[in-house]
Amino acid sequence: MSRVVVTGLGAVSPHGVGVARLWEGLLAGRTPIDRLDLFDADSHRTSLAGQVRVPEQELGAFAARARLLTRSDRFALEAAREALAQAGLVDTSTLEGAGVFIGSSTGGMFEGERVYFDLTGEGSDPERHLRFLQLGGQPVCGPGDAVARHFGARGPVENCATACAASSMALEAALCSLRCGEVEVALAGGSDALCQLTYGGFNSLRAISPERTRPFRAEREGLSMGEGAGVLVLEREEHALARGATILGELVGAGSSCDAHHMTAPHPEGEGARLAIERALGDARLGLDQVDFVNAHGTGTPHNDAAEWRALEAVFGARAGRLPLTSTKGSVGHLLGACGGLEAVVTVLSIGAGELHPTPGQGERDPECPVDLVEGEPRALERGEVGLSVNLAFGGANAALLFRSWSGEEDAS
Amino acid sequence: MRHRVAITGAGTVGPAGSGLEPLREALASGEPRWSAVERDERFHLESSSRLAGRLGPDPYAPWLSARVARRMSPASAMGVCAALQAVADAGLEAEQLAGPDTAVSLGTSFGSTNYASHLLQQVVDSGPLAISPLFFMETVANAHAGQVALALGARGPNHTVSQREASGLLAVARGAEWIATGRARRVLVGVVDEVSPILHAMLDRFGALVRPSAEEDLEQPRPFDRDRAGMTISEGGTVFLLEREDEARDRGATLRGRLGAWVRASDPSATPTDYGRDAEGLARRLLAGLERQDVDPTSLERVVSGANGTRSGDALEARTLRAALGDAALPPVLAPKAVTGEYGGGFLAAALLALEELAWPTPGFRGEDPALGVTPHGGAPLPAGRRLLASSLAAGGAAAWLVFDQD
Repeated sequence: MSRVVVTGLGAVSPHGVGVARLWEGLLAGRTPIDRLDLFDADSHRTSLAGQVRVPEQELGAFAARARLLTRSDRFALEAAREALAQAGLVDTSTLEGAGVFIGSSTGGMFEGERVYFDLTGEGSDPERHLRFLQLGGQPVCGPGDAVARHFGARGPVENCATACAASSMALEAALCSLRCGEVEVALAGGSDALCQLTYGGFNSLRAISPERTRPFRAEREGLSMGEGAGVLVLEREEHALARGATILGELVGAGSSCDAHHMTAPHPEGEGARLAIERALGDARLGLDQVDFVNAHGTGTPHNDAAEWRALEAVFGARAGRLPLTSTKGSVGHLLGACGGLEAVVTVLSIGAGELHPTPGQGERDPECPVDLVEGEPRALERGEVGLSVNLAFGGANAALLFRSWSGEEDAS
Repeated sequence: MRHRVAITGAGTVGPAGSGLEPLREALASGEPRWSAVERDERFHLESSSRLAGRLGPDPYAPWLSARVARRMSPASAMGVCAALQAVADAGLEAEQLAGPDTAVSLGTSFGSTNYASHLLQQVVDSGPLAISPLFFMETVANAHAGQVALALGARGPNHTVSQREASGLLAVARGAEWIATGRARRVLVGVVDEVSPILHAMLDRFGALVRPSAEEDLEQPRPFDRDRAGMTISEGGTVFLLEREDEARDRGATLRGRLGAWVRASDPSATPTDYGRDAEGLARRLLAGLERQDVDPTSLERVVSGANGTRSGDALEARTLRAALGDAALPPVLAPKAVTGEYGGGFLAAALLALEELAWPTPGFRGEDPALGVTPHGGAPLPAGRRLLASSLAAGGAAAWLVFDQD
């Protein structure tokens, strides 16, 4: 079975455009979760979110096509462009056989709801609404389709719409496709933009914190929402080596599961999350003691963090409390269908740098979730070869990914 | 080691009714089940299409009570209803599916657009604080896959793919791959689609739907026809139960068929709202995928085509099939969407029925488009087949093909 390596990373996040800004912001412990102005925040129960606030020109490579591109599309395109540039795949003719696996939860809903509000407003005349065409970008497959079209990929294009596990599962799909030889190269990750439907919807569930999110703290009150994209270039190892690519890490395993317990609440004992992590370990053929750190789902909701801790405890036993753990969502918010992609990027960066970014947030740690939370300052890892990324979703879906540093040595596992 | 993938159960709900038999009858008779669509003057134009394939009254009986169905969106109810049918069809009790070895992979073209528009209307009428948690929960694109897992206790991987017309075949392919590679032992695969006023109006505005013509007040999609003028959208859902073939045989299951291969591709020449034009590129991907999975294209005895009556979609479909399978050697092409309308569940179920020797006419077909060179099958009985290709190309660029086969 071919090994699958990472050769490019791309990100758009509330820290700005690019992986460098993301990593710098994370290490500095910054929290760009502020009052959002994408729509009228005053009409919602809360008003904070991790909004991508970048000048138009920073996403300018795609401005010429912007009329039918949504925010999600443009985030995905920019993240893919950066990842491909790092991978040295700037000549799109090299992507002829590439696959595109982009998760998304909202797609172009932000644009879609603006059209809806416009059409249903007073004095609306359906004959005059040319903007109706913008609904064409509404489907959640929009970001992946846009990436495939723009970069000329002719391999499989498969959206994963499994809510907050969408892009982790998209990476799992890419892993399967690469291993079985369907493609040599894949662009995989996720992209999502803020919109009223999800912002109001999570508020209706009382899941959004009125203050900035505080994952794994005793006084946590919920999540903060965010937006952005994270895209990785994955390749079969022999393909990457043959073209002399710089290898950033290896995607060694993936596992997924479903709680089958409740549509919006996690299984209280983290049963499904445990199963997903165990499956990823089995898929990677790694032992428990080979995992060095966790990039947690870590949303900051009381139930989710508790369930995630119990899953880690069930898998790793007493070692669960000694595994260094960080929550990227504590800094950028919850990117919904894009969180798995962005957190996969961060996990690979953590392996490369040998350190974990701190999890912002005030307050005491929750004694019911005694994780080894990285707080305050970045933490150098004693051993940072294998990182576990976990994401849990509506509908009970769970996904876990395992990344490992790449040495070029024969796989002994 | 790759496992062979067996289809051991199937369930469907759609405009023809609940279960495979009403659909079989509708296809065999060549009689579509169109009904008047709910129009919304804020979205529809006077000239807009007026028909769609809608579910009838009490559509989920006896599988799902109206009381239970009311707690979920139509898309979720379709998924649960079809899944329960598939499990029973496979000779299993629902309880036997519970556990970590059962996975779910469902597709949807647009998700629950009824609930999404209800929710947005709540925002318009009363502001975002009025948003209903139920509506929100069911607008999330993976709600139907979650509801199926919840109904059956299926704790294996749970996947949702939304890739417009290709959603169903992609969802089946994902589940088949899980079985083949050992990531799951049983997978409920399929697709659910709803019709809502705003979705109907949106597709109409894009020019995708057939409208009443000046000559005849009949909206009939005409796949591959020289005068085709658009599709008719429908709603419904289909779910198959996939199992490892060796395990299915060990338990004495009756196999409805096998999934012999699956191929995925994209066409970068597409636009966000239309099909692409690169038939040669798609054909290359199709042939390469078949070769990789040891399927000889000449062994394909019939094609179940996703042609839906749109000008550009059918053109791409016809040219891709001809480029891949050869002009002269093109096997009989069945076009179920002339009867079912455009919904993934009808197409998926029709493909399975075609494997079971059903052939059907193509209502509305009046003459071949010389630019396409494909005449859909006229309805005469076909010899028993062992292998067929199901083909689904999507607006936006995605493409998927499945090879169904049997002993």
